Amino acid sequence: MYRVGDKVEVKVKQKVYTGVVMPTPELAEKNILILKLDNGYNIGIKITKDVKLKKIGTTKFEDFPKYKPKINPKLPSISILSTGGTITSRVDYKTGAVFPLKTPEELLLSVPELLDIVNIKQIKQPFSILSEDMTLKQWQVIAEEAAKLLNSDDIGLIITHGTDTLHYTAAALSFMLKNVSKPIALVGGQRSSDRGSFDGALNLICAAHYCKSNIAEIAIVMHGETSDTFCFANRGTKTRKMHSSRRDTFRAINDIPLAKIFKDGKIEILNKNYKQRFDHHAETIIDDAFEPKVALVKIYPGANPDILDYYIDKKYKGIIIEATGFGHVPTQTLDKKDSWLPVIKKAINSGIFIGFAPQTIYGRLHPYVYRTARLLQEIGVVYLEDMLAETAYIKLGWVLGHTKKLDEVKKQMLTNIAGELNPKIQPNSFLY
Amino acid sequence: MGYTKVGLKAGLEIHQQLDTTKLFCSCPSIIRKDKPDVIVTRELRPLAGETGKIDPAAIFERKKRKFYKYEAYNDTTCLVELDEEPPQPINQEALDAALLVAKMLHCEIPDHIQVMRKTVVDGSNTSGFQRTALVGISGWLDTKYGKVGIMNVSLEEDAGRRTAEDKDSVTFRLDRLGIPLIEIGTTPDIKTPEQGKELAEKIGMLLRATGKAKRGLGTIRQDVNVSITGGTRIELKGVQELRQIPTLIEKEVERQQKIIKSGKKVPAEVRNAQADGTTKFLRPLPGAARMYPETDAPLIPIPRLRIEALKIPESIEAKEQKFIKLGLSADLARTMSRWKNVKLFETLISKFKKVKPNIIASTLLSIPGEIKRKTDKQFTPTDDQYTIVFSLLDKGRIVKEALLDIFIQLSKERRIEDIAVHYEVFTDKELEFEINKIKQENPKAPEGKLIGIAMSKLRTRADPKKITQLIKKL
Repeated sequence: MYRVGDKVEVKVKQKVYTGVVMPTPELAEKNILILKLDNGYNIGIKITKDVKLKKIGTTKFEDFPKYKPKINPKLPSISILSTGGTITSRVDYKTGAVFPLKTPEELLLSVPELLDIVNIKQIKQPFSILSEDMTLKQWQVIAEEAAKLLNSDDIGLIITHGTDTLHYTAAALSFMLKNVSKPIALVGGQRSSDRGSFDGALNLICAAHYCKSNIAEIAIVMHGETSDTFCFANRGTKTRKMHSSRRDTFRAINDIPLAKIFKDGKIEILNKNYKQRFDHHAETIIDDAFEPKVALVKIYPGANPDILDYYIDKKYKGIIIEATGFGHVPTQTLDKKDSWLPVIKKAINSGIFIGFAPQTIYGRLHPYVYRTARLLQEIGVVYLEDMLAETAYIKLGWVLGHTKKLDEVKKQMLTNIAGELNPKIQPNSFLY
Repeated sequence: MGYTKVGLKAGLEIHQQLDTTKLFCSCPSIIRKDKPDVIVTRELRPLAGETGKIDPAAIFERKKRKFYKYEAYNDTTCLVELDEEPPQPINQEALDAALLVAKMLHCEIPDHIQVMRKTVVDGSNTSGFQRTALVGISGWLDTKYGKVGIMNVSLEEDAGRRTAEDKDSVTFRLDRLGIPLIEIGTTPDIKTPEQGKELAEKIGMLLRATGKAKRGLGTIRQDVNVSITGGTRIELKGVQELRQIPTLIEKEVERQQKIIKSGKKVPAEVRNAQADGTTKFLRPLPGAARMYPETDAPLIPIPRLRIEALKIPESIEAKEQKFIKLGLSADLARTMSRWKNVKLFETLISKFKKVKPNIIASTLLSIPGEIKRKTDKQFTPTDDQYTIVFSLLDKGRIVKEALLDIFIQLSKERRIEDIAVHYEVFTDKELEFEINKIKQENPKAPEGKLIGIAMSKLRTRADPKKITQLIKKL
């Protein structure tokens, strides 16, 4: 038998290979031995009865170095809350396996300049998961930990997070944290930290500068363009991941970024509509009541209205429908059974809140332009203006966590609580 | 110099670009001279390795520059080159070419190939690493100095092309980044400078024989590793021409000897070859290249059937011999066997058996030059144009003396259908008529002069032998 790390000699008929046994990738065929040859390359050898293996030694994999950040008393302090994702994963260069950082301090190894900008007082890691695996529970933990860290002498907070659902977490924190008096930056990475082109480095540097700014908002701080020139701080409730792979994936929607942040610390305010930093000792309060029975449903041509029956049967309390155009769903279909009108009526009559958000992503819903929308509004659908569907889903869970009275829910949903509604959409905000 | 005495050991590392689309995206492998559409500015960070130490070469680069600029094109580059999208599955045509080369070099080919990330610190790769895969090891090649070992055959992506540099930044153009490269590393079996040239030449011809090698300046690059007893292994990069190799090795041996004599140690470094055969310091020798799997690319199984199906192409030397047997002069056969479009020649000679291979070969090789000389115009007929013209010659509808004129007409963008009628061979009657006309116009001219006049007027429309015969007969 052999184990990962064993140095082996492999005889395949007349051929002889020597190398170190590496782990086999998860998706590879079975019975393949991955060998790292002396020249550094990995190859795969099919294990058959002709293959003779002999262990000739072992290699010790070295541990990643231990790292303790230095404290510079002249700099203001912040803390980092690390939750997982690409930005806090590392590659084991010997095996190629991707692991979460063993200690969050290792993050500073790849971005040592952070310590020239701020003091990192502590790095807390309540859990380390991929962002697609986040649930309500993790948002609540993040809110709780964030409040603890903020209620200190720190001047701001950085939260590292996987990028896939970073904007959901940003929206959740925007509603769950009250009386935030300091900057909170959510940061992710689109390129892994094993490479020289790691984008998370600039994101973290800009986030540290953001923490020193006067903007007491929960913002996603990531690349503003594909170049490593500046980051945008984008409002947590008005931002969306718009590209599967680019560095500048997070874009402000129906809003312009709060600020442009350069790596030398220069901050250009772009959006004057932001909350200023206030009383350093103001206490951040957690308000994380949340109704888990909420859903996000997308409308598309041919979508079967029966879909909603599932949510009605399962006693959901609220549904955000990503409606087409100005806020439409099939209502005047040639075949009556394709219309969503009856099932939406049924849902509302069962006490379920139905809110519409734009599936166009950009723009505002307008219930008065076409008859369809007027019909829907008449039966009680709430048109959520220019609110992002993802934000609307989070907000609805949070509002329903506080009240189940439909009138009150409607009122709250249409009241701007955390910058999620923008009465004035600036012309240049489209594809900013 | 007694190279055995100084303990010369040299090996080659040859990089050949392939004439396919890029290795990890579908962009064409086109080098651009026009203004780029996009310029992106990036930084590359030196990363701590397993031991927490940063590579000396990485620190050197970081100190030297603050940032890198990358030039890209909207139509011939994409997000993959910009490090804004993960690699697409490996180019199968390029992989086949690399497997074929490994097979031709008698290498062992692994059952599974794993694409690796090899850390690169000079900014020439947007990602900070080069993707590379080992397709063969432990091969050999026969040379006139004996067998030379082949350590590895790898398939990798070419780096960005350096286009500018100032005190803060280096600019790379991404047209070259991602072009498939076959890398061949030999064992340090070279014991004399001349042997180095012979080996490089031999490998170059083997690569060309695959028909997949890109041609032209910069498409093949040789690195030479040189060491002598008491010296250090030095990497000489950027050798553009084969005939430079012996001088380079000689001068490097001299350089190392001088340092040794002064009692110093030869520092381990990478040196850049200059046109005169001397070298210049380029950067410190990087630490053992950090290589780890490209996690965005799956393991590639190489079934034995795939390797068996790859046909070993005829070698260039064998082609040369074959052409000599077909009646080409030694010079012509040598040039033709190495010509980039030799396939066209082979197709034409198999299609048009009535035309002498010699005529086809010399026409193909000389036409663009002749047109340039006569009309001062750059024009290379297309394969189709060559085929049509040679088919007319094969059918006897034109004479070989008309070839140049026809191609000149084609260079003026005229259609072959319109040109051909003016060069159609005269029937016997037409020729008699033309010759009688010449005789009447020159009643007193002696036979010799008549032949001269007739030749200059009629040579593109009739067989010269026939012209002479008719003048004598009529």
